[in-house]
Amino acid sequence: MAEFWASLPPALQDVLFALALIAPGLLAGALVLRGLRPLPLVGAMLRRFVWVNTLFVALIAVSVGLGVGLLAQERGLRQGSARAAEKFDLIVAAPGSEVTVMLASVYLQPSDMALVTGAQYAEIAGAEGVAFAAPIAFGDSYQGAPVVGTTVDFVSHLAGPLAEGRVFATAEEAVAGAYAPVDVGGSFTPAHGHGPGAEGGAHEGFAYAVTGRMAPTGSPWDRALLVPVEGVWAVHGLANGHAPDDSRIGPPFVPEMMPGTPAVLVHATELWGNYALKSRFTRNDLMAFFPGTVLAQLHGLMRDVRSAMSLMAVLTQVLVTLSVLIGLMIMVRLIARSLALLRAIGAPLRFVFAVVWAYSAALILSGAALGLALGWVAARGISAVVTARTDVLVTANLGWPEAHLVAGFISLTLFMALLPAWLAVRRPLLTDLRT
Amino acid sequence: MTAPALHVENLRVTSREGRVLLDVPLLTLDAGQSLALRGASGAGKSTLLHVLSGLVRPSAGRVIWGAQDIAALTEDARARFRRETLGLIFQDCHLFEELSALGNAGLASAFAPKADRAPIRSAAAQWLAALGLGQAGSRAVDSFSGGERQRIAVARALAGSPPVILADEPTAALDRANADALGADLVRLAAEGGRTLITVTHDAGLAARMGRQITIADGKIVEDSDG
Ligand SMILES: Nc1ncnc2c1ncn2[C@@H]1O[C@H](COP(=O)(O)OP(=O)(O)OP(=O)(O)O)[C@@H](O)[C@H]1O
Ligand SMILES: [Mg+2]
Repeated sequence: MAEFWASLPPALQDVLFALALIAPGLLAGALVLRGLRPLPLVGAMLRRFVWVNTLFVALIAVSVGLGVGLLAQERGLRQGSARAAEKFDLIVAAPGSEVTVMLASVYLQPSDMALVTGAQYAEIAGAEGVAFAAPIAFGDSYQGAPVVGTTVDFVSHLAGPLAEGRVFATAEEAVAGAYAPVDVGGSFTPAHGHGPGAEGGAHEGFAYAVTGRMAPTGSPWDRALLVPVEGVWAVHGLANGHAPDDSRIGPPFVPEMMPGTPAVLVHATELWGNYALKSRFTRNDLMAFFPGTVLAQLHGLMRDVRSAMSLMAVLTQVLVTLSVLIGLMIMVRLIARSLALLRAIGAPLRFVFAVVWAYSAALILSGAALGLALGWVAARGISAVVTARTDVLVTANLGWPEAHLVAGFISLTLFMALLPAWLAVRRPLLTDLRT
Repeated sequence: MTAPALHVENLRVTSREGRVLLDVPLLTLDAGQSLALRGASGAGKSTLLHVLSGLVRPSAGRVIWGAQDIAALTEDARARFRRETLGLIFQDCHLFEELSALGNAGLASAFAPKADRAPIRSAAAQWLAALGLGQAGSRAVDSFSGGERQRIAVARALAGSPPVILADEPTAALDRANADALGADLVRLAAEGGRTLITVTHDAGLAARMGRQITIADGKIVEDSDG
């Protein structure tokens, strides 16, 4: 059985699981309502106490929306950060913290790092199975946008064909990220360092001309300015990786003339080649890692936090479910007189039961539907804020976990709604009729 | 369905505190008879009507309609008896404020067997028309006057063509002229259908239209026009 389940495609598993969750509630409904037509009366009751009902629906909607939004947001964040790391197949750097290098190179959150030397770079670039090895040299910025030295190969690997203009062809040209603060045709002088501590005047007299703009990548690189690595070296008064009379840019570099680079992105000719390269450059004087794997480890580390969050989402849901139950019992008092009238003129108990249950179900279902919409809107809104702040494109869409949460909530509450319905038909008829 | 005869014996209703609210050793009523229940406020008229309709289960005794002792029935069976046999008109009408006049008059169609639903609804419309509310069927009931509401309640009681009608002060909220008109309507409609009609009333005019009058005091029958 477990094997058969595992053999099903994930999408089918999700659909089946959602159906299994909602089935008990719907089944209860089918049994309660079979052969009866309580809806016209339910509609009348909903209209009668429209404000109380609206408040009740809103309460359910907000709680369902919170749960849904939380789940969608968490997944969106996870997927967004993973997508931003997608293009970074294999990174080679000087030994140290993989997380630090990943944050610096993938998410452009730089910190001081040891350098890969020219000789080491030459070895990496020349290794068998390497399609290209791009230096990634950060440290400068312009108006808060990171200025990163690299190669043409990396530019086209990262963002595909340019959205506008052409790639840099000399050490004084640059390509702007999709949302970088300089337009094509404009120019900029980089500041040394990042953030408030950046030294604006450090590179006085040097300017890059922007010749092209990349298409959006959904990563922090969209705010970056990409320049030839030779430019970065030159700006810092270092050798530029080539012979003195050679004004070419890009690899190969002359190892002795190359000042070094904090990280190298390695792209293999074949996907499987990455693993061989990773083990080859995992050694005393170098480290090699897949950012995707490091990210997965980080997400794994957060699993406890995530399960705590999910647990909290479920717990809130349970609490809300209980308040829904209590709320329904109070609502039943509101309609008690109408129910007593129905019983007095001979309505079967089953019918009265069905009226109360259908009334509850109408509130629960509209609350859940509204909550789903609310959760989606909230997740969208928060995603937009996160995207604006981190440049990691986060798109929170409704997915199966939310569908499962809501399906479970609906089933559970529809089941619980049987209780107030049962209590309603046990109320003293004549007393209710007199009120 | 022909009207069932009523046979009540050794009926006692005591309140939870042990006070005797009703004590009727014997009461019989032929099928198709009309009966007025009279008496001071608090005498027990409504209580008797509630027992006769199965809304209240007596502490002791039998309430036999036709061949059926409804005091011995389960609650659901009593509901079924009410829906099949009785048309009830309550002391304060009890309408579904959420529904239209027609919706109220045809309320029983909501839970009646499928085959009966359409007949109940068309009967409800006919009774409303007969009671002078034909034009206003779709209006919400909370916009009707007290007398109009009472007529809607009458239409509801009659819509299921019940063989027995139990009415609790159906004309209490009306002025003289309207009370007379509604009382006359009720008696005529009951007589035409060969229905049994029991009406609680303080209205001597309405009581006089009934074939028989009973007076209740302190839960006991103290006067019966049939001897
Ligand atoms: N559940 C109950 N518990 C205790 N006392 C009750 C109960 N139901 C009715 N009574 C009492 O029984 C008496 C008879 O009530 P009932 O409603 O039958 O009077 P009635 O004759 O219909 O009066 P009215 O003309 O004012 O409608 C009243 O004194 C009332 O307070
Ligand atoms: Mg009374």
